[in-house]
Amino acid sequence: MSSARTITIQHLGRVEGHGGIFVKVVGDTVHEVNMDIHEGSRYYEALLVGKHFLDVQGIITRVCAICSANHTVAALTALEKALGISESERVHRLRGLLLLGAAVESHALHVFALALPDYLGFDSVMAMAADYPEEVTFALRLKQLGNRVQELVGGRPVHPINTLVGGFGKLPSHRALEALRAELEKALDPLMRFVDLAAGIEVPRWAAQPTLYMALRPITEGYRFRGESICTSRGEEFPAETYRDVVREFTVEHSHAKHAALASGDTYMVGALARLKLWSERLEGRAREAFERLFPEGVVDNILLNNWAQLVEIVHSLERGMELCDELLAMPEAEREMAEYEVRAGRGVGAVEVPRGTLFHEYEIDGEGLVVSANVITPTAQNLANAERDLRCAVENLLVEKPGGDEVELRLSLEMVARAYDPCISCSVHVVREDP
Amino acid sequence: MTGTDRPKVGIFGLTGCAGDQLQILNCEDEFLRLAEAVEIVDWVMAKSDNDSNCRLDIAFVEGVVATERDLETLKTVRARSTVLVAIGTCAVWGGLPAMRNDISREVLEREVFGEDLDFLDTVEARPATQFVPFELRLPGCPIERNEFLQTVRSLLAGTVPELPAAPVCWECKTRENLCRVIYHQEVCCGAMTRAGCGARCPSHGVACSGCRGPVEEPNYDANITMFADRGISWKEISARMRSFSAPVWMTHGLEREVDHE
Repeated sequence: MSSARTITIQHLGRVEGHGGIFVKVVGDTVHEVNMDIHEGSRYYEALLVGKHFLDVQGIITRVCAICSANHTVAALTALEKALGISESERVHRLRGLLLLGAAVESHALHVFALALPDYLGFDSVMAMAADYPEEVTFALRLKQLGNRVQELVGGRPVHPINTLVGGFGKLPSHRALEALRAELEKALDPLMRFVDLAAGIEVPRWAAQPTLYMALRPITEGYRFRGESICTSRGEEFPAETYRDVVREFTVEHSHAKHAALASGDTYMVGALARLKLWSERLEGRAREAFERLFPEGVVDNILLNNWAQLVEIVHSLERGMELCDELLAMPEAEREMAEYEVRAGRGVGAVEVPRGTLFHEYEIDGEGLVVSANVITPTAQNLANAERDLRCAVENLLVEKPGGDEVELRLSLEMVARAYDPCISCSVHVVREDP
Repeated sequence: MTGTDRPKVGIFGLTGCAGDQLQILNCEDEFLRLAEAVEIVDWVMAKSDNDSNCRLDIAFVEGVVATERDLETLKTVRARSTVLVAIGTCAVWGGLPAMRNDISREVLEREVFGEDLDFLDTVEARPATQFVPFELRLPGCPIERNEFLQTVRSLLAGTVPELPAAPVCWECKTRENLCRVIYHQEVCCGAMTRAGCGARCPSHGVACSGCRGPVEEPNYDANITMFADRGISWKEISARMRSFSAPVWMTHGLEREVDHE
């Protein structure tokens, strides 16, 4: 007796963009597990062809709002490589600060407003506010703090405008940096109380299975979001410029976003959990404390722990943000900083660790400064194949653990797996390009 | 927290970057009070238990129509709603996704995905406002938080929000910025673009790219001639202006000038 059963989640809630989950089970065997991506297309890379390089950032940042600062830094890094511009000390630090602000905002939104309601039994952060008013208020304040960093450095919290090829339109004043530093510091203690709250929540293990992880090797000795080479958890290392050979993309019929795997055919995970897996020994201060509290046995395979990995990165981002403020305050105050450069033909790759994982941008420009080709590979597109693998694992385990189990519970479990990846569907759709 | 007499609100995203919905979440100081003043019954981005059939007193829609599914969603939301508000330049004017509607989707699909992809359900990206009537339109890429909050407050009070009708130049002058056109010979769209952003870009030393869409009755010809008189090529003028409001702006003969050049 083998009856076919399908589980369809039409519209996955509490994620950015439009996607769903489709599962087909025949008897005890899981036949199909798809993450359906039905977000519409915008063809950003094709739209960039023929545009001047100075207009690239303002366009490509609009791929996605939550990730706009990250796309900005990746694009500027790639364009400056193409043009042979090297970042000044100040520009490097300001962009670093921008990335940290984006991480605080994005992780705070995801951990507290999108993921945590599942673990505390609510349908949304609005519903959670009734029972956890202080926590929700603090979470919103934290998210706002991330936005404040982005506003100070990028000119506004969504789609930065102050970030230019070669530098910044307007530099933050020392007074503003001092005020920001104080706010970052003030958020640390209450955040550590959240770490305690999280450490007390039991995380289910039905989606846990051996996983391959990928992250950039940090450019300096610390825990950093920028790097020049791609590392995997099985010890491989490749220069970032060769990302097209490392990340193999393919199309699948149920998704408007491409999927990705390594040349070996293995799927892999990128994101906060992958970064901790590879570089947690570089964490310092309270971030190390948070890590030890939430990962007492080190990073173990279980995608649901990505939520707590993001929490550790919020702590790190606040601390590192304070350090960057100090370093910027040690420099003389100035109005504007812009590198001198000449327009030339070239090609450049920019790789950045962003909240959801490794982001690649590549541009080729001609002698007049017009874009010849553009390529973007987002973390969510890289994670989709691995997410389907984890969803399959969850269904298989749950069918064994709770045969004939409640459909509602099963659906919620699948949503928790998908949400743990913090998928950014706007980003993932149609921003990958087939190279001729 | 029951109060069934609170206005029922839905927030929807068609194809887009979700930036306008994010700006609503970015109203952190007001967010909880907002969630108490209205009943948010349908918002996939922020809730998992959504009522997708009930009547809505106010609905906000972000994004362009780029798939058949988008169009279905939009029509359903219109049918359910008393007041429908377009949020963001994509919904109001088409925004960046509509920038190259002169290129066929088949060509773009091949460019991005390669050959043989007939599973894609995509149509030309068009603003939501082209398909159904809207009671209110909030432009911006993304929307300004204060304009969103002002709109909600006005609707709750039973009035219509008063949004700025002047161009960005007006706000730019009050901030005493040096003009990007006159002093920097740049294509700055401030004179043709709707104010409300506080002239954020020129205040950071960056030319306005027109992300809030056109003001009423913009004088395109005079502006474009002004750029050309400063020695900027038609090609550059066209490339800069073919962005956020391309479908509206490009009907003004600028492309023909480029061909003549």
